[in-house]
Amino acid sequence: MTTALAPYLAFARIAFLQILAYRLRYFTGIITYLVNVTVYYFIWKAIYSGNQVIQGFSFSQMITYVAVGWIIRTFYYNNIDREIANDIQQGHIAGKLTRPVSYQWMHISQAVGESLFRLLMFTVPTGAVILLIYPVQAPGSLLSFGAFLLSLLFAFIIFAAINFLIGTCAVYLQSILGLIRAKYFLIEILSGLVIPINFFPDLLVRWSQWLPFQHISYTPLMIYMGKVGGKQLASVLLVECAWALALLLAGKWFWRLARLKLIVHGG
Amino acid sequence: MNFSLIEAHNLSKIFKTFERKEGVWGGIQNLFVRQYRDLKAVDAISFSIDQGEMVGYIGANGAGKSTTIKMLTGILVPTSGTIEVGGYVPFRDRNSYTRTIGVVFGQRTQLWWDIAAVESFQLLKKIYNVSDKDYQERIETFDQVLNLKPLLHTPVRKLSLGQRMRCDLAASLLHNPKILFLDEPTIGLDVVAKENIRQFLRRINQELKVTVLLTTHDLSDIEELCRRIMIIDKGKLLFDGALAELRERLACKSQVLLELKEPGDVDPAALGLNSDIEFNWMKCGASLFSIKRRCPQPS
Repeated sequence: MTTALAPYLAFARIAFLQILAYRLRYFTGIITYLVNVTVYYFIWKAIYSGNQVIQGFSFSQMITYVAVGWIIRTFYYNNIDREIANDIQQGHIAGKLTRPVSYQWMHISQAVGESLFRLLMFTVPTGAVILLIYPVQAPGSLLSFGAFLLSLLFAFIIFAAINFLIGTCAVYLQSILGLIRAKYFLIEILSGLVIPINFFPDLLVRWSQWLPFQHISYTPLMIYMGKVGGKQLASVLLVECAWALALLLAGKWFWRLARLKLIVHGG
Repeated sequence: MNFSLIEAHNLSKIFKTFERKEGVWGGIQNLFVRQYRDLKAVDAISFSIDQGEMVGYIGANGAGKSTTIKMLTGILVPTSGTIEVGGYVPFRDRNSYTRTIGVVFGQRTQLWWDIAAVESFQLLKKIYNVSDKDYQERIETFDQVLNLKPLLHTPVRKLSLGQRMRCDLAASLLHNPKILFLDEPTIGLDVVAKENIRQFLRRINQELKVTVLLTTHDLSDIEELCRRIMIIDKGKLLFDGALAELRERLACKSQVLLELKEPGDVDPAALGLNSDIEFNWMKCGASLFSIKRRCPQPS
């Protein structure tokens, strides 16, 4: 078991080291995220002028939702889709397929390494700055916080698995820049990062429950705020876990199918 | 005792390429109607390679060398035909099969670009589950010929092409593979670096009994390394045999390379060549490849 896992830990480690070479990029990211939170702070401030509570959210809850939403995004975010597209367009895929490891898990392990790096160098400083400036509430309870961390782990897997699926499309489409951009905005909206899902029209709220996207941002945040509790908490976490597994399996099958059509460019 | 390690039978790879029409109108047409054309990159080739052999695989650009290598290494799926390498079907058994082979692509490194080469080595050690003892021993062995140690702690992007290739070669052999596939291992290297690489390949073939299949454009690679040579052109295997046999057949003590504007016959007399010279033509792309031979009297 440990020997089967060892290569993937090594991939996480090397991704961590590789990203150290690009660490400057993350410092500029801190400012970008701070600007995002600031923009949403003032938008919500304007919306809440004259309102105490909207859709069950007080203003200070909303700011907590927005701020924690962006802080956790510094952690779960990755570019697996871009990396796969790059592997395929540049022909690096050839060398990677000569290794006795799963291509899917290689990418996910590297994303783990990247996320650990992000946690230290991006989440912590961004969180510290945001917490200093904005009045962010503490988690609902200790249980909420524990469940929130677990939920965050599933969010990471769901995000990574979706990116793997999108990236695999590059085998068929070659250039997936448009697809990546579309996915980016779709996830920003449907994950609940920009607006909590329960602010959506009823129809969209109902649809959203059958989609995986809300488990990336909305679900962990509602758990953090203690808005999901008791029996509901267990079932929400179970659904999130099921989505993570289903998307991983879908990626595995899709990649197996795509490999039959693979063309290697150059050399 | 020899037994065949690599078996390819009627191996073919057809790529579907879609023909783009030119111009604005053509571009619009492309959106709605696509005409596909089959490109036979590898066309029904068969060969077998024995354990311990070192085989040179040559051909012009686009002849199908790399595609063959990519099918043999389990990267590409053959359109038809069969391959078996050491009892594995490369594509189907990729996970267990790739443990038994080493692969080097001269055109691109498989090492992590921005960090020291030793980090890539450590990763490979984990991937292939190489013990500490074996790892140390192999690094020592490779260091003797490749002078590896001074390179290990430099970021890969700062290595010269020759240094990088030395690292790539060592990396491909860390797990002690039975077979080594090399796709243009000497491309772009200077004379000294080439000699270094060749010396190393000779050693691993003779001492470690690694079977080697290498593609190259450099005929001196073949001359110095391979007893056997396979020539592929436009996806078809033109020649498969000993280098000496090829020489014999062509008896080329000297050769002339003629590049013609268009394919056609050449009148030797018009070129001012003596009549005791016989011509063998070998087509090579659009140009013609002429081999001059001094004709011994048939006995």
